[in-house]
Amino acid sequence: MRRLFNIEWAKLKYHTPFWIFAGLHIFILLMIFLSAKFFLDFLAGKGEMINDVIDPSRIPVLQFPDVWHNITYVAGFMKIVLAIYVIISVCNEISYGTLRQNIMNGMSRGEFMISKFFLILLLSLSAMVFLLITGLAFGFIYTKNIELHEVIKYVEFLPAYFLQVTIYLLVAFLLALVIKRTGLTMGLLILYTYIVEPIIVFRIKTEWIKNLFPLRSINNLIRFPFSKYLLRETQDYVALQDFGIAMAYTALFIYLIYLALKKKDL
Amino acid sequence: MKPAVSTHQLTKHYGRIKAVENLTLDIPEGSVFGILGPNGSGKTTTLGMLLDVINPTYGSYSWSGSASKTENRCKIGSLLETPCFYPYLSAVMNLKIIATIKKAGHDRIDEVLKTVGLYERRNSQYRTYSLGMKQRLALAAALLSNPPLLILDEPTNGLDPVGIAEIRDIILAVAKLGKTVILASHLLDEVQKVCSHFCILDKGRLVHSGPVSDVSESEQRVELGATDMELLRETIKAYPPLIQSEEEKDKVIALIPIDKVSEFSQFLSKKGIIITHFLTRRKSLEKQFLDILKEQQ
Repeated sequence: MRRLFNIEWAKLKYHTPFWIFAGLHIFILLMIFLSAKFFLDFLAGKGEMINDVIDPSRIPVLQFPDVWHNITYVAGFMKIVLAIYVIISVCNEISYGTLRQNIMNGMSRGEFMISKFFLILLLSLSAMVFLLITGLAFGFIYTKNIELHEVIKYVEFLPAYFLQVTIYLLVAFLLALVIKRTGLTMGLLILYTYIVEPIIVFRIKTEWIKNLFPLRSINNLIRFPFSKYLLRETQDYVALQDFGIAMAYTALFIYLIYLALKKKDL
Repeated sequence: MKPAVSTHQLTKHYGRIKAVENLTLDIPEGSVFGILGPNGSGKTTTLGMLLDVINPTYGSYSWSGSASKTENRCKIGSLLETPCFYPYLSAVMNLKIIATIKKAGHDRIDEVLKTVGLYERRNSQYRTYSLGMKQRLALAAALLSNPPLLILDEPTNGLDPVGIAEIRDIILAVAKLGKTVILASHLLDEVQKVCSHFCILDKGRLVHSGPVSDVSESEQRVELGATDMELLRETIKAYPPLIQSEEEKDKVIALIPIDKVSEFSQFLSKKGIIITHFLTRRKSLEKQFLDILKEQQ
């Protein structure tokens, strides 16, 4: 295992796009979080109609404990950035011929798969750690009365985010293996994520069938949080059923990746 | 001699195309084994199956010893077709990755880079290399783990004459250590110079397999030149045991029984011919190769 991690790390360390995408991901998330806060502060000074109902600057978006649910939900939209790097990495292995060379040099196909899982885990784990740090920072800055049980309430959304990103990156890995072309894979993933699945899900009326679609099901791990500020009912926990479907998809995608690698003539 | 690798009815079909068909072959341990064949005869597909990058349609192969196929690949140095490395990494970084894959130490990296003459450029990115340098790095990678078996597919591709000669020396040096080398090439001259055994593939089928020494047979090729070429040609044609003669620009090639060489030379001088050029040649592998292929058709 150590060996497989070392192999993958040696490939990543000097690959400039890896650092560019990691930096881009962090930059975009910080921009979104900060601009959301500034936007609410901005609203507070304007339009009296809104201010009559609630003072937008006092909505606790970045305060404990809401901060965990809010930032993981918003960060969920940006996992495409990490997925694009996974696609670049896997498609490069195919187009450089290094996947074939790795196997000839003595990796098994299973070992190659695990080495790429290390890339995926590295990305999703560091994204989660980044959210942990950001969440703590925002929470301590914006929360007036800090109490420990408030700090750790909703912290379960961090592992939920980790799982969500991991599964999405597995999808990217699988697509890259099957399609082989960087640009085409990216295009299809973006198309499916933002257009195809949302339309299909929208057209289906039955709720439980909707929840079986892969991206919908992983997004269900972290439900829309902001409705609670309009005093609507909001699911502020990770439902066991959603977790179960997500785990089933994890197993399925790993199996399909293994199958795709096994059957492939390199 | 026990085989380093044997294949049993190894077959690969790509749709209707039969790339390799029922290949049953033993490659003796310690031999330098040449795989010959025209373009598209299945050489690379066969080696690809031995290296587990191509799944056979049918059939099997086995390495000597009890290690798993993955473990075996760690102990094989291989170079298949074009060199494949990470273009954004230096030669040293690329070799470090390969050493880690092969579970070998990093201590031989400098040594193999010196062997192939890339040591000066070891820290340049792979993408800056010329084709010949890439090929040299691929050879360095193959030699990296000091493997008991080398698989080389067209190792002299893209190399200059000096590079070709160097590769030949490296192969011979490796063979002298008792290691097995499997060499696929369409350059017959190449194979004849280094190989102890060879086989010929044609359209995916095995058409010949045996030691290279089998190729020298009962016939002897003699290359001749004389001051009076006209007389030489006529005299050779009049020599009774002559099998065949060919005329080239400034020499004549005569094919005679192998035990008649000295008698032939006496015969010529008796006829008053002043010989300026006399060279005995084994029937070349190229000739043998073409003959075998012709028999097939």
